[in-house]
Amino acid sequence: MNITINNWKIQVNEVATVLDIAAQNNIDIPSLCAHPDLIPYGGCRLCIVEIEGRRGYPTACTTMVEEGMIVRTDTQILQEMRRDMIQLILSEHPAACLMCDDVDGCTVFQETIRKVGITTGCRWCPKDKDCELQRIVEQLGIKELTLPGLYRDIPLEKYDPFFDRDYNLCIYCGRCVRICDEYRKSSVLSLRQRGKLTTIGPAFEASHIDADCEFCGACVSVCPTGAMSEKSRKWWGVPEKYEPSVCPLCSLNCDLQVLTLKNKIVGTVPPGKPHESGGELCVKGRFCLSELVNRTDRILEPQYLYPEGYGIVSWDFAIEKAREIIQGIVPKRSAVYISPSLTLEEISSAGIFAGNILQTSELTSSYIDEKLAAYVNLAKESIALEEVKEAGIIVSIFLNGNYNFAPLTMAIKSAAASGTPYYQIGWINDTASRFARYKVVPFPGKEEKYLNQIISFLENGQSKIQEIRELASALKNTKRGVILVGPQIMSLSNCTGLLDKVHQIVKLTKSKLFMPDQFGNLNGLLSLLKMKPVEEVNRKIKEGKIDLLYLIGDAPVNGRPDVKHLIYQNAFPAPSELNPDVILPTSLWGETGGSYLNSNGTIKKVNPVAVSHGYARSHIEVFSGLAKALKTEDVGFSDEVLTNYISDQMKIKKHILNVIPPAKSKAFSTGSEFPYVLIQEKNPHVYSNLNLGQGIAAFGDLIKPGHVMLNPNDAKILEVKDGDPVKLRSPVKESKFHVVARKNIPRGYIYLITSNSKLEFESNPCYINIMKDHV
Amino acid sequence: MESSNVSFSEIFKMYPVEEGSLIPILQKAQATFGYISVESVEAIAGYLKLTENHVFGVASFYSQFRFTEPARHSVIVCLGTACHVSGGETLLETFQRDLNIKPGECTPDKKFDLNRVACLGCCALSPVVKIDDDIYAKVNIIKLKEMWGKYE
Ligand code: SF4
Ligand code: SF4
Ligand code: SF4
Ligand code: FES
Ligand code: FES
Repeated sequence: MNITINNWKIQVNEVATVLDIAAQNNIDIPSLCAHPDLIPYGGCRLCIVEIEGRRGYPTACTTMVEEGMIVRTDTQILQEMRRDMIQLILSEHPAACLMCDDVDGCTVFQETIRKVGITTGCRWCPKDKDCELQRIVEQLGIKELTLPGLYRDIPLEKYDPFFDRDYNLCIYCGRCVRICDEYRKSSVLSLRQRGKLTTIGPAFEASHIDADCEFCGACVSVCPTGAMSEKSRKWWGVPEKYEPSVCPLCSLNCDLQVLTLKNKIVGTVPPGKPHESGGELCVKGRFCLSELVNRTDRILEPQYLYPEGYGIVSWDFAIEKAREIIQGIVPKRSAVYISPSLTLEEISSAGIFAGNILQTSELTSSYIDEKLAAYVNLAKESIALEEVKEAGIIVSIFLNGNYNFAPLTMAIKSAAASGTPYYQIGWINDTASRFARYKVVPFPGKEEKYLNQIISFLENGQSKIQEIRELASALKNTKRGVILVGPQIMSLSNCTGLLDKVHQIVKLTKSKLFMPDQFGNLNGLLSLLKMKPVEEVNRKIKEGKIDLLYLIGDAPVNGRPDVKHLIYQNAFPAPSELNPDVILPTSLWGETGGSYLNSNGTIKKVNPVAVSHGYARSHIEVFSGLAKALKTEDVGFSDEVLTNYISDQMKIKKHILNVIPPAKSKAFSTGSEFPYVLIQEKNPHVYSNLNLGQGIAAFGDLIKPGHVMLNPNDAKILEVKDGDPVKLRSPVKESKFHVVARKNIPRGYIYLITSNSKLEFESNPCYINIMKDHV
Repeated sequence: MESSNVSFSEIFKMYPVEEGSLIPILQKAQATFGYISVESVEAIAGYLKLTENHVFGVASFYSQFRFTEPARHSVIVCLGTACHVSGGETLLETFQRDLNIKPGECTPDKKFDLNRVACLGCCALSPVVKIDDDIYAKVNIIKLKEMWGKYE
């Protein structure tokens, strides 16, 4: 089809809007409410154009191109009308930054004498120089305000984590509301009331946390003005670079862009042009990464443990000390912990180092226990994420998608919204719950029995329970059934038994499986190295068979095991009581390049985008330094060696982990003495040896590690408010916690994300008594 | 709680789970309970599988829905063009000051709640105030003080 825009003849081969086609051909039509991820809205009316043969001034964002269309986008009258519209917007939008006579000089050398400080000065908008409204004002050449101004005086909203809101700067383009609703399917924001009284936000005056916001930051990314701003980089100014990268915070390894300023990582956003990036990430990839690399407690210099305590030492000295230790160790008498957050290259170098220099095969990670082994062995059958979107029916089992696995939860939500039946098995509600046909709530402690009933229905077609009949026959009779299992299942006492049952259901129904995990490169770690469960290695340590424990981005959970020497190579400080002999600071994600093997089996590469903090070195550099000191230079760590190592190991099928049969889990006791059901979750979000819930305060505000979460109605009955102390008592244990009321916790349940990698109570789920603690 | 739950299940029985049911259910809830409470929003959202935020956004768009418990007497001050010109604003301010509440709120003793409206359709009588079902015409401040003394 052929159309003409501003006398340019343009060939169009797709169904598209006039605005899209103009943009593709570098014809700039001012627009504020349009966004590539959103359904055209026609709200701001800035994109008006003239089309020959049509009456009035249609909006380009809502008008589809048609054969022979003749469009003008920049006539005098159009520009005049646009200016009038901007004047209307500016009458309600603080505009000092746009109209000041000194604006040009001010940005360069701040010539104006001001009575105010820089941060509170007249250029006080966090989006200054990065604002779409500013750009349009400039484009239209507006130099003065023609209408009287009105300041709406809406109180700032600073009480939620990660981003602030100042709706005095809002121009009601509705992008935030729409991306949250259409794209994320979270519907946290709505336009409340109307006309002059319109405000944006959740129901009543709820905070975002209480309104089930996922803190995905989609609304912040798409906001054209400074109404929404990221707390962590609010006053940093416009980022210099947008560098493509990959998220290392779970097995989905989402694509993202790293924003840098003066070689420092200041933020991360989903792919796409600035302001056009949408909402593909979860809160971890969107907000936690920059906080993580910029943590102030990172180790910046090598340290050595002298008899009188730690001293900061030079790299040469530290390497020398490490060399002395390593040289004194007999082959096979060392053990290595390796983090599942490292890149393939780092993991390979660790493997080469362990195999050829330490000469040991005692490789493990603190996270690899018998449950994880059972989980990843089954997860090997996982399909690609894209196939979830094509599912004919979806069943999720103990998957908690809150603050997590965004592409997966979005796939579930959009499939369900377009009619794919979705069933959710589990106790806690998450962002996808309201899309479920129904939520299956197995009797706590009887989860395995529940799955068994599904299996027996599949085998002999009989069940007394209507729900089971419906779910099982739907799964069996629908093509492309997909079963999702969440890593939360690993915290349950009978995890291995449950996974067994899941496997049977998968086989009986010929469904596909998708099982994400919370590690950036566990897939890579298990593909490259033959890892042992941590219990097995720890047993060796207990038996006195290990002299050196070498920790690479990982650490044992219970303080220092009984070994002669301990070398700690990491970016984050060692847990207390670990007391390593030598501490070697390393760089983090973003500071070294590398690749990750995601759950689709695809290798994703990242480039370094920032300089290492302090004197930190990459793991690979540390190993080659050690090899040199040990005069084992024949063991190479060059890019070529590592690349070959990776491709050799990848040819082997993923190593199977040994599953050590778990100890028999204790019996549950029910009854009125223990009326509540406690669900625990351990280690939900980790990077290297850092627990994100503890390491990033704002993220901690969301998942509240170490707090007990309960339904607001239960809180009312117990007469407790957020932050109050409570006592939890199980048949064998009693412990004190603070409470948080959250609506996604069903009544009668208590949810506890543990603050370390151990469960607090004897079984999970666990029947429990809760009482207000009168101190 | 209990009794309102019961009536909710009765209300819900009449409407299918689809977005089109939202407004009719809101109207029914308002008619049944007199206003749209936090609990109503929660229950309606749960039934229609929408978020509470969405339900509230839709409901608050329409001035027919109120979100505070109605008081024993409802005061409505007209601020339509005619009433505005003849002093409606002053009447509203007087109510606000004397009752110490803002439009949309209700006095702590639940005696009066205050709302404004854009034209009651009897502009010839402006400025107009409506208390419950009574229309007061050509109101001034003195008359106004007399008026509300009649209500218990
Ligand atoms: S952060 Fe995400 S979920 Fe929360 S309001 Fe914004 S778009 Fe919606
Ligand atoms: S907050 Fe931003 S995105 Fe949302 S309506 Fe206002 S200007 Fe638009
Ligand atoms: S879903 Fe996983 S990979 Fe994607 S942003 Fe979140 S943590 Fe990162
Ligand atoms: S961009 Fe077309 S109306 Fe806003
Ligand atoms: S303006 Fe008040 S009744 Fe019409």
